Amino acid sequence: MNRLYLALRFLRRDSRSGELTLLMLALIIAVASSTAISLFADRINRTMNYQAAEFLAADLLLSSPEPIAYSILQQGNKLDLKQSQTTEFSSVLMENDEFLLVGVKAVSANYPLYGYLKIRQQSYTEEQTVYHGPKSGNVWVESHILSALKLKLGDQLRVGEKALHISQIVSYEPDKRGDLYSLSPRVMINSADLEATQVLQAGSHAHRFFQFAGSEENILTFKRGLEPQLTVSQRIMDVYEDRPKLGSALQKAERYLGLSSIVVILISGVAIAMATRRYSERHFNSTAILRCLGYKQNQVLQLFLWQFLLIGLIASTIGCAVGWISQEVLLHTLRELLPAKIAAPSILAVFFGMMMGIIVLFGFALPPLLRLKRVSPLRILRRDLVPLPSSAWLVYGLALVLLIFLISQYTDDLKLTLGIIGACALSLLIIAGLAYLLLTATRLLLAHVNLTWRFGLQDLSRNRRSNIVQVLAFSTTLLAIILSFTVRTDLINDWQQHLADEAPNHFALNVFDDQKEALQQELKQQGVKVSHFYPVVRGRLVAINTTPVQQIVTKESQGERAIHRDLSLTWAKAPAKDNKITAGLWPSQRKSHMVSIEQKLAKSLKVKLGDKLTFTIASQQVTAQVDSIRKVNWDTMKPNFYMMFSPGTIDQFAHTYITSFYLATEKKDVLNQLLKHYPAMTLLDVDLLLQQIKRILIQLTAAINYLLYFALLAGFLVLFAAVQTTLDSRIYTGVLMRTLGAKRSFLQKIQWIEFSVLGFIAGLLAVLMAQLAIYALYHFVLKMDFNINLTLSLLVPLASALFIGLAGFWGTRSVVNQSPMQVLREL
Amino acid sequence: MNSKIEKDNASIIAVDKLCKTVNSHNGPLTILSAIGFNISSAESVAIIGASGSGKSTLLSLLAGLDVASSGSIEILGQSMSELNEDGRAALRHQAIGFVFQSFQLLPNLNALENVMLPLELSGDKKAKTLASDLLDRVGLSQRLTHLPSQLSGGEQQRVALARAFVTRPKILFADEPTGNLDSSTGDNIIKLLFELNKENQTTLILVTHDQRLAQRCERIIELKAGRII
Repeated sequence: MNRLYLALRFLRRDSRSGELTLLMLALIIAVASSTAISLFADRINRTMNYQAAEFLAADLLLSSPEPIAYSILQQGNKLDLKQSQTTEFSSVLMENDEFLLVGVKAVSANYPLYGYLKIRQQSYTEEQTVYHGPKSGNVWVESHILSALKLKLGDQLRVGEKALHISQIVSYEPDKRGDLYSLSPRVMINSADLEATQVLQAGSHAHRFFQFAGSEENILTFKRGLEPQLTVSQRIMDVYEDRPKLGSALQKAERYLGLSSIVVILISGVAIAMATRRYSERHFNSTAILRCLGYKQNQVLQLFLWQFLLIGLIASTIGCAVGWISQEVLLHTLRELLPAKIAAPSILAVFFGMMMGIIVLFGFALPPLLRLKRVSPLRILRRDLVPLPSSAWLVYGLALVLLIFLISQYTDDLKLTLGIIGACALSLLIIAGLAYLLLTATRLLLAHVNLTWRFGLQDLSRNRRSNIVQVLAFSTTLLAIILSFTVRTDLINDWQQHLADEAPNHFALNVFDDQKEALQQELKQQGVKVSHFYPVVRGRLVAINTTPVQQIVTKESQGERAIHRDLSLTWAKAPAKDNKITAGLWPSQRKSHMVSIEQKLAKSLKVKLGDKLTFTIASQQVTAQVDSIRKVNWDTMKPNFYMMFSPGTIDQFAHTYITSFYLATEKKDVLNQLLKHYPAMTLLDVDLLLQQIKRILIQLTAAINYLLYFALLAGFLVLFAAVQTTLDSRIYTGVLMRTLGAKRSFLQKIQWIEFSVLGFIAGLLAVLMAQLAIYALYHFVLKMDFNINLTLSLLVPLASALFIGLAGFWGTRSVVNQSPMQVLREL
Repeated sequence: MNSKIEKDNASIIAVDKLCKTVNSHNGPLTILSAIGFNISSAESVAIIGASGSGKSTLLSLLAGLDVASSGSIEILGQSMSELNEDGRAALRHQAIGFVFQSFQLLPNLNALENVMLPLELSGDKKAKTLASDLLDRVGLSQRLTHLPSQLSGGEQQRVALARAFVTRPKILFADEPTGNLDSSTGDNIIKLLFELNKENQTTLILVTHDQRLAQRCERIIELKAGRII
């Protein structure tokens, strides 16, 4: 207790003298960033889980083309599962001489089990949130339907044989799927009216969904019991095991956020290590006095450990509070873009932040602190007795263990973690080696420069060891900042390329051969840019090199899904612009009976170049040889295909065309005209989907920007910590030189030259390493294209010279401001 | 060990055949050789000699700040060679006080806190009162909250004296206590040192090259090239 009390008193005295400010700031930044990220990520992830349930509008969903056995529903009842049902099918509605293909959805009384619907009374009135579907006798429609069929709210709408009262405009439903039934304009009716419509007869094509909600245990029990009873055409999905995975953009961003927060921790760690080194060096004398006054080695160590634990707790608490506020501010700024209901912050994430603070502090501060234990009491008489530094194993080992732990938290992949660490270690070695060479090279300049420059440069080569440490600190900080900026900019560009402002937002399907030209013409007249028209033939892959596909694919793989349904097959002279041939060739004159296969499907089906694929098309078999494998970017809103045949292979089969185009909101009326002119054509409006993706991107960009501020702050702290570590000896030299008659301006120039050159070297090395790291990162982790950024390569060393020069100049201003008498007396 | 300390033998320090050798670039270098003497309780002894004669090394060995190469030192009946680093620290804590040439005050603690420090280390609840009383005794009652850099050399050495006496040590080692002071300030400090020494019945071992100062002690041990002459 006495030791804790003493530690508190010492801490108060040290903080009064400003010894701890830098250390505390570095720790606060590290904790604030990691807490903000863990809180934010945790809340968003839990919200996404919640939204996944909303997406299914249930915990478990059974889809089936035909009604299911009553016994299944009874099993659900036994397990206390809440149940609802929806039936979806396409139907053409006719009113006022207008007709329109719509997706009808009949919903039962309990629908939706999770989530909500949004409805409104007029096209532009406020939306209302409701937790049920339409009552029997009523119909809810999308606003588009009213204009297309010249109807208004309150009118009658005939669905099949049943006339229903249009009571609401429906604008949002939680479980809207991206299939044909969902993407056609929505008409929602009550299940009780379904029979009266007489649309669904035996053999009619419809999708039936049976939703169940309950505890995780009961849902999984129900699922296990259900699985053996499923027919080939039935599928089940549950939120626990079949939760839709994050999209690739989101996945990249999540990794990026996690890794960035490690960068912030690492930079702060460097600042902590440097600040603690200075702290411990400045405490050699007082420790010697304590030892002289009879304090034992372990007592000294305990005293400092207690102090650091207290520092850790105080800084972590402040850091957690800042982190908490940061993520609240972030969520508040983005409240328009985020779901209405965000999961509450978890106290565990805060605990994680506190733990992180203590771990980071001791991980980086322990080795310099341990040196204090070895201070000899004899130092009281002989100031030159400096305790041996901690072993390199201890210094780097602790930080390394910490880094492995942190990185593996975000990567969940030991190989990747070790890869990152190995790359980091290699980078440090290369930077240190190059820094040594460059610092040595400054000597060559000495004979050719004036006195001021000579003094400035002399220190660089003379104190090579400590300067290498500073170059390492500066360049790793710069490296991290360059990485953050470049990767962020490239990630955003990468996304925006996919989602350019005029990215196609409509698909036109089922366009017949004889309509193609006319449709193209009509769209052109309307000023609508249309992408390539691809012919589509429906067919099923049945064999690979005479082996039936069922024997090749594993269940649940992408291949399994691809062989259980008809694929859209096409042929083309050239591959789609955004497709990339990864194996084989796509010659301009392709032989017939050749096929190009999408990369992931090829991997899943173990298809190689030269393999022969057999398809069943309209009960005939067609065989084609794989001549190339393509990488397809499914995120673009353009038609894309798993299989692209060479012309002359499947042309003889009946086919329709598919294309996509961009239509501005104010031109939506064009859709009605198109539907009138081409009644058999299906138009899919993917605007909503695009808007959702764009919204996510804006959110993520903001989050990434936010994290960058922490990295920048931490970077500046490293600068000042590095300057501070050499401050004492600089003050001493400065005072001696002033005593010997050097002018203040001379000293100022020397500092300015020294730090600017150091900054330039650090910037140069950082740019070099950044280009290497970005290449590795893009190539192996983010799977993006790499281009050398020349502007950045020139700008960074110059900016680094300027900023580090300024920071050094500012940080060492006390060298010229301190009274020589006072400094010499304090020695 | 406590019982030995409390026994308060007539001979409070016993040194026998003490040697100190260090390794240098040119082979082993003998700093002290065959040193032997006894010091009685409450005695004042000056160790004198030219620069490099081994005075400060002898002081550091006597205070347990360094270890001898051979020979023995007994402080309060306790053999120093039997004590490890922590044992010697404990002995210093209980029985020894120091005054140094360069004052050795902690720069970030004020005068009062510097004097309180040794008491705080042993958890003394009256640390503040005792420290401020002693600062009052050395004439610094108006300087309690001043940092060392705000005090003159003489004032700093007074704080150091107060810190040395605040634990009422049995032995006080003083290493050139006036070395950094002008003669008039130095005289005042010496006067104060001897007064406090008398009041506290402390055994004083004073290292100096100042003959005048040495003459004030009851006994003088003179060193030359590491030997007593």
